[in-house]
Amino acid sequence: MLVPISWLKDYVDVEVSPETLSKKLVAIGFEVEDIIYQNKQATSVVVGKIVNVEKHPNADRLRVTQIDVGTKTIQVVTNVPVVGGETIAVALDGANLADGHKIVKGELRGVVSEGMLCGLEEVGVTEDDVQGQKMGDIIRFEEGTTLGMNALDALGFNDVILDVSVTANRPDCNSIYKMAKEVAVALKTSCREPEIDYKTVGGSVNDMVSVDVKNQTLCPRYMAAGVKNIKIFPSSQKIKSRLRAVGIRPINNIVDITNYVLTEIGQPMHSFDKRELEGGQIVVRNANEGETIVTLDGKENKLNPSMLVICDSVRPVAVAGVMGGENSGIKDDTTEVVFESAKFARDNIRRTSRALNLRSDSSARYEKGIDFASQEYGLKRALTLVYQSGSGDIVDGLIDVKVDYQKVREIKFTTKKLQEILGCKVPKNTLITILERLGIEVVEGDKCLVAKVKEDREDIVGVNDIAEEFIRVYGYSHIKPTLFEYATLTKGGIGDRMKFANVVKNTLSACGLSEGVTYSFTSPKFVSQLKLEENDSARNAIKLVNPLGEALSVMRTTLTHSMIETLAYNITHFNKAAKLFEIANVYLPKSLPLEELPTEEQRLCIGMYGEGVDFFTLKGALERTFEALHLDVKYERSARPFLHPGRSAEVIVNGNSVGFLGEIHPDVADNYGVDVRLYVAEISLDAIFSDKLLDKKKYVAFSKFPNIERDLAVVVNEDVLAGDMIGAVKDAKIKHLCDAKVFDTYKSEQIGKGKKSVAMSFSFASLERTLTDDEIATEMARILNVLKRKVGAKIR
Amino acid sequence: MKEKMDNIKNAALEMIEKATTSHELVDVRVKYLGKSGEISLLMRDMANVPKEERPNMGKMVNELRNAVESVLNEKTAKIEQEEKLARLKAEEIDVTLPSGAKELGTLHPLTLITRELIDIFTSMGFSVAEGPEIESDLYNFQLLNVPKDHPARDMQDTFYVNDNIVLRTQTSAVQARIMQKQQPPIRIISPGKVYRSDDDASHSPIFNQFEGLAIDKHITMGDLQGCLQTFAEKLFSKDTKVRLRPSYFPFTEPSVEVDVTCSMCHGKGCRVCKGTGWVEILGAGIVNPAVLDMCGIDSSVYSGFAFGFGIDRIAMIKYGIPNIKLLYENDVRFLKQFN
Repeated sequence: MLVPISWLKDYVDVEVSPETLSKKLVAIGFEVEDIIYQNKQATSVVVGKIVNVEKHPNADRLRVTQIDVGTKTIQVVTNVPVVGGETIAVALDGANLADGHKIVKGELRGVVSEGMLCGLEEVGVTEDDVQGQKMGDIIRFEEGTTLGMNALDALGFNDVILDVSVTANRPDCNSIYKMAKEVAVALKTSCREPEIDYKTVGGSVNDMVSVDVKNQTLCPRYMAAGVKNIKIFPSSQKIKSRLRAVGIRPINNIVDITNYVLTEIGQPMHSFDKRELEGGQIVVRNANEGETIVTLDGKENKLNPSMLVICDSVRPVAVAGVMGGENSGIKDDTTEVVFESAKFARDNIRRTSRALNLRSDSSARYEKGIDFASQEYGLKRALTLVYQSGSGDIVDGLIDVKVDYQKVREIKFTTKKLQEILGCKVPKNTLITILERLGIEVVEGDKCLVAKVKEDREDIVGVNDIAEEFIRVYGYSHIKPTLFEYATLTKGGIGDRMKFANVVKNTLSACGLSEGVTYSFTSPKFVSQLKLEENDSARNAIKLVNPLGEALSVMRTTLTHSMIETLAYNITHFNKAAKLFEIANVYLPKSLPLEELPTEEQRLCIGMYGEGVDFFTLKGALERTFEALHLDVKYERSARPFLHPGRSAEVIVNGNSVGFLGEIHPDVADNYGVDVRLYVAEISLDAIFSDKLLDKKKYVAFSKFPNIERDLAVVVNEDVLAGDMIGAVKDAKIKHLCDAKVFDTYKSEQIGKGKKSVAMSFSFASLERTLTDDEIATEMARILNVLKRKVGAKIR
Repeated sequence: MKEKMDNIKNAALEMIEKATTSHELVDVRVKYLGKSGEISLLMRDMANVPKEERPNMGKMVNELRNAVESVLNEKTAKIEQEEKLARLKAEEIDVTLPSGAKELGTLHPLTLITRELIDIFTSMGFSVAEGPEIESDLYNFQLLNVPKDHPARDMQDTFYVNDNIVLRTQTSAVQARIMQKQQPPIRIISPGKVYRSDDDASHSPIFNQFEGLAIDKHITMGDLQGCLQTFAEKLFSKDTKVRLRPSYFPFTEPSVEVDVTCSMCHGKGCRVCKGTGWVEILGAGIVNPAVLDMCGIDSSVYSGFAFGFGIDRIAMIKYGIPNIKLLYENDVRFLKQFN
């Protein structure tokens, strides 16, 4: 909300600097986002007097002037036909003009020029803002204006405007008058009321128009007044410059009055050309299905019954609270006007405005909420301005159609309760003084105080609101920090699921991986980029209704896509290698379109590329992670379409796949514009989570006797997996076996086509004694038997 | 015999004298003192010595042996010491060469800050609560005193999945869930991702929030201030001050914005705090009694406070990260800075 200080001063005396005022407003809850000095929108433009004019020696159309700028006389070359003795505005060397130009001393056709004569455009001012100047000409001042003075000051264009951010609980403060009341509270001074003073000429508004409100829920109050013998002319300088200062374009006296009242009182107003109101009727009703209206902006709007419209006897003439119809707007030959000052339900205005994509200063104001007090006040203020400006003859009477409403709300409270909320002493006299300055009367009740809150403060409904009103004026510095002085002790901590994820994060970072964080939404193209199969449930991604763009429009069902994108980003940003991981949710709908909240599954994704990185680098990181989680896993060949068919595996826990790891298929890498080998794993942490895994640490006795190692090399078909061989041995309950590993595999002609040799080592130990060669030979024979039986192994 | 002994002694001492390596000294030891060494052989010669001279001769041979052995030991010790020094010298390496050991990995700055925050608040008796990111309008807005089409909805640009399901705009949604299923005392924190349809130089459509809620009998604004003062001191530095300013949030009343003294300039005023000495970091307040009642907690018995702030912003302030986008680009040159 833009608040010109000059306008505030109509109602409150402001004798502090704008900076001090801002600090005081911030302290009572109004953040000042900017302080705009009108006279700083162009710098180093000053008043000067032309003391001499000569022809330019080298150019017929140029003149060389000597200008007295108070402290010195400067030479300026200009093409403006000025004469000696004129007092003008001149930009000095180093001046910054409002249009962005910078003035520097230089030569014009061989003659030094130290500045430039300025017009209104150069200092960012229009004819509406100041008197006696013309656009397209240079600025001229009266003789005797102080030389060297800031030209904007000399023009009288030197207001200071506060850009105040008004919180949603204080819609009333979106007005200069209510802001002035708050300023008065902040400055501990009093506030004057906007003047209501007009005379009527007889007649009756009821003879001009009738008002019928069909839906009082959406329109709890509708007031109207009539003005005859309207004269349309431009508004006064004061009104025009004030409207401009708050960003509203002046149009004519009648439209400007409605905008002035909107800004000053906060009440949106509308003016209808009486001629256009068929049957002299105003009917406030819900729109009929299919009804249309062309609004003032020239747009045709299709209405529906959820929207409220203002109609005459036959057709809509305005979308209530949003925008007037083109048909009933004020024209140059308008002679009779009906002013509307109404209260509309804010949520309906909001919905309608959004549905029609139609915004106006009125709808913006209505959406925030208008109190019951403003309609009458706003209407009378508008009539005062009509009267004062001589814009027409006001007929007797006001139409006022309204529901019953509570004028004064009573809130019972005690200072003790306020102290319990705030945790600081609340002196009763100070409390009462503060509330009364805020316009809240306080009376003694039965063992309590009673606050009488007027209709303009709809936000104050309970004792907590009273506490806030008190403390924001009294000052938060009165509250002293305490640490749960009277509260129960509670035990804090983090949950097992978070602990589980922490173990994973710590392990992977210890393994040299860096944690990344990517966006939860992504492009629907991930389906084709990853070549997901027709029946893959990962294709069912939840769509956003209002995404920031197609590329961020669906909630991801896999982390792999983001990981490949991240790896690709690093490749194109000259990083030779990257080893990354992310723990994040994927969003798996139970059905689409979404009827209930989806399953959010926490997953781990690992991705890497670069020299020395291969499938086993990736697998190593996973192995260490599962080790840290005390989790037994198995690996089986994977057949996911986005993975290299020969270099990928499913991770199996308790017989179920919990994820995969592998090299990204070259075709898929190509879909991401990548031509290096990428390695990615994605594991569901929720699928492997168990709080039992977290405290699985337990001492196991180890042998004091030497371990005995035996190697064994066998020949198997080349498609036999090492993991299956180790698994077969481990499942066979070999006595004293404490470890089994594959340490070499190779193929050669001697071994035979389609065969490979697998070298394994086994380690045996007993807790009681040193094992004998015979015992071990027996067990080794059993191992060989198992391998023969399970994987068709032959001894080499 | 005597003469022979003198010769042996002189020859041995000369050989020791000339020796320059421990290897040569071993040779000396073998030649003279070994089982078949010259001095040992003298003892065998004793058989040819007259009986009465034998004790005396024996003594002399022993003296000879001791003399040679003593000199030899001394020289051996000296040479071995020299050789050890020479070997150590020869083994010198360039200790400034890199190790070639695997690099340390790193945790994301958001994880680091979140963990720090969790430590601070769990030590004050808060426990961590989590909730869904895709949330119903009910929990994200309505139970927090923001009915549909309320102007406060303009405070947050919301991503919608449908009319009743949104991407949560605030971790406060978790508050409502907890309050519905748990009676006081409640003391929870809730870190997590939130979403706003806001994407420009200083905003990311995804960021992380940290929410706190304490409900009990007799909770006051002073407790809120004390809790936040403790947090600011632990997260930034002991001299950090906290300031409350009136503000508005639908689910708290009274509501405050909370500023802390700038951690860069310690309140003196600098570029980061735009010369004010204060940095706005969070919003907070006393839980609106209407919210308590809607969630099934008796507001005539219990009161509470709530606060919420952006983890990203804290990370940016604390680590001096100039642009929020860096947090989500995942350039390894960025990520590797936080080990």
